[in-house]
Amino acid sequence: MSAPPPAPSQTPSGPPPLRLLVVDDEAIVRESLGSWFRQDGHQVDVAENAREALHLAARSPHDIAFLDIKMPGMDGLELQARLQAADPHLTIVIMTAYASVDSAVKAMKTGAYDYLVKPFDPDELSLLVERAREHRSLRDENLRLKASLDALGSPPPLVGSSPAMRHVLDMIASVAVSDATVLVTGESGTGKELVARAIHSASARRYNPLVVVNCGALPEGILESELFGHEAGSFTGARARHKGKFEAAEGGTVFLDEIGDVSLHVQVELLRVLEDKLVTRLGSTQPLRVDFRVVAATNKDLREAVKAGSFREDLYWRLNVFTIELPPLRERPEDVPLLAEHFLKRFGEAMSRRSLKLAPDALQALQAYSWPGNVRELQNAIERGVVVAQGGILRASDLPLTVTSGPARPAQGSLADMEKVHIQAILDAQGWNITRAARVLDVDRVTLYNKIRKYELKRPDEA
Amino acid sequence: MRPEAGAPRRLRLVPLALPDGTGAEQLAERISRRVALPCVLDAHGPLPQLPELRGRDQLDARPLLDWLAAGLGPRELALGLTGRDLGLPIFSHVFGLAQDGGTAAVVSLARLDPAFEGLPPDPEQLLVRALGVAVHELGHLAGLKHCPEAQCLMRFAGTVEKADARGQAFCPACHARLPAWLKPAGLAAL
Repeated sequence: MSAPPPAPSQTPSGPPPLRLLVVDDEAIVRESLGSWFRQDGHQVDVAENAREALHLAARSPHDIAFLDIKMPGMDGLELQARLQAADPHLTIVIMTAYASVDSAVKAMKTGAYDYLVKPFDPDELSLLVERAREHRSLRDENLRLKASLDALGSPPPLVGSSPAMRHVLDMIASVAVSDATVLVTGESGTGKELVARAIHSASARRYNPLVVVNCGALPEGILESELFGHEAGSFTGARARHKGKFEAAEGGTVFLDEIGDVSLHVQVELLRVLEDKLVTRLGSTQPLRVDFRVVAATNKDLREAVKAGSFREDLYWRLNVFTIELPPLRERPEDVPLLAEHFLKRFGEAMSRRSLKLAPDALQALQAYSWPGNVRELQNAIERGVVVAQGGILRASDLPLTVTSGPARPAQGSLADMEKVHIQAILDAQGWNITRAARVLDVDRVTLYNKIRKYELKRPDEA
Repeated sequence: MRPEAGAPRRLRLVPLALPDGTGAEQLAERISRRVALPCVLDAHGPLPQLPELRGRDQLDARPLLDWLAAGLGPRELALGLTGRDLGLPIFSHVFGLAQDGGTAAVVSLARLDPAFEGLPPDPEQLLVRALGVAVHELGHLAGLKHCPEAQCLMRFAGTVEKADARGQAFCPACHARLPAWLKPAGLAAL
């Protein structure tokens, strides 16, 4: 311990020096702390009052400020508020006598990192500085990780510059900051889940889970168990307690996809959960309070379903707080080149074909097609093109036949003829993947097999 | 910085309120063996009044440094040695204090003595601890700062346990910065 020298710090392998600010109206305190911190290699500014401290703080940032609580003029508490307002990252330590410990506690409640009672135990001061350094380091790391998570967790972009798509993006930005329930409507393949992910990512819940439930894919009993959870022994096969999706989404967002396919019985349970935010596991009588936000999606017309009695009106109104309608791709043809380029880049990178370019005839074919399977169909077409393209150019001939020879405009003929052509086109576009094609066509797989038999549809290589 | 040019030629060990038989001669001898500077026991004249810290039964270390420095001849350093507990108005206690790059330092034996914590007296341990704190403070007189290395004599130690744990040697980085008078042959680097 000693008088302050202007010499630079000597820390052969230690952490970098801190920039410290000591504010006290007693010269002996400023000198003693200043020289003590300088002996530890830190850079120290000292001020005898708040005005001088604010002047120093404005000139250069500090890591930690040590503020005496009782000073003439502006006291330590007021100075703390002013310094924190100017630099929210500043770590503040309050110095106090026994008589003003209450004020020091008040300072901590308003954001001070810690307080020291005079006279300080030098070992405690040393430990406090190291703790504060570690705290700052962890906080900085936390900020960096959050920034990385923000980047990693960003959903695939909702690509489009058309007025219709810009309107959708504006609505997402507006509703994301609220906690309102959102209903997303649109044809299959328009990107309803992407909208849900975009809302979640832009909301205050983004560091908590986004839990996706495909309501249409699960039978009623299983869906109930998936949504609400179950206790061990609540039904045959329930060997262990199982948390439901609402519990799993604690603090986050539940995305209820294909909400229009939920049975009336499950609709009753859902309504109750959405209204009360209370979940009762199957086999339990104990409701659990859960914090979640709901985004639901459907390709069905729920108003028609309500009229037809297959969807509860009260649930409809509960979900329909804020509706986002996704336009089909055929209504925003100007977005096709953008989307095509986006998918070309994505699949090109994934398949190490980064230099691949779209040939003019391919772009022309993409723009001429009506895209009944919407963005998902376009994505599949480009993926296929990236696989089969030769050299550095993706040509029209690399695209699925449905795109290049399919119904760009409504075909002539009977309804059955149109259905046959359309199903053939979708099957070809999906590489005859029955599940995917059924999803694009919005029919179940059995129906699709029946149609294939009825129209004697064949794979391109069998035709 | 040191007021006069040239390396110091002598270190005066000045007893301050130090009871007889507390090992000042032995400490002077060990310091002389440890550093290149001859260490002599010197009464330095009586203090006009001991600088007491009000209500704390401690001496204020800073006025002691000023008084020690004021009584020095050319190219001399002073190391005060006291049996009283040392403190500063802002610090509850210090084992020692030095003017950075200056001429005066002071060491208190009070808290270095095992008896301070109710343990049986151990004159040898007290002497070893006092030597460590004395050389640490001489390091500050030579312009060295605290070192982050766990086993370096220039590491800050706020408790006797930490003072014992840092050992008696300088780390290579601090050793390389020692002036000749503080770096005799035989002073080991880690």
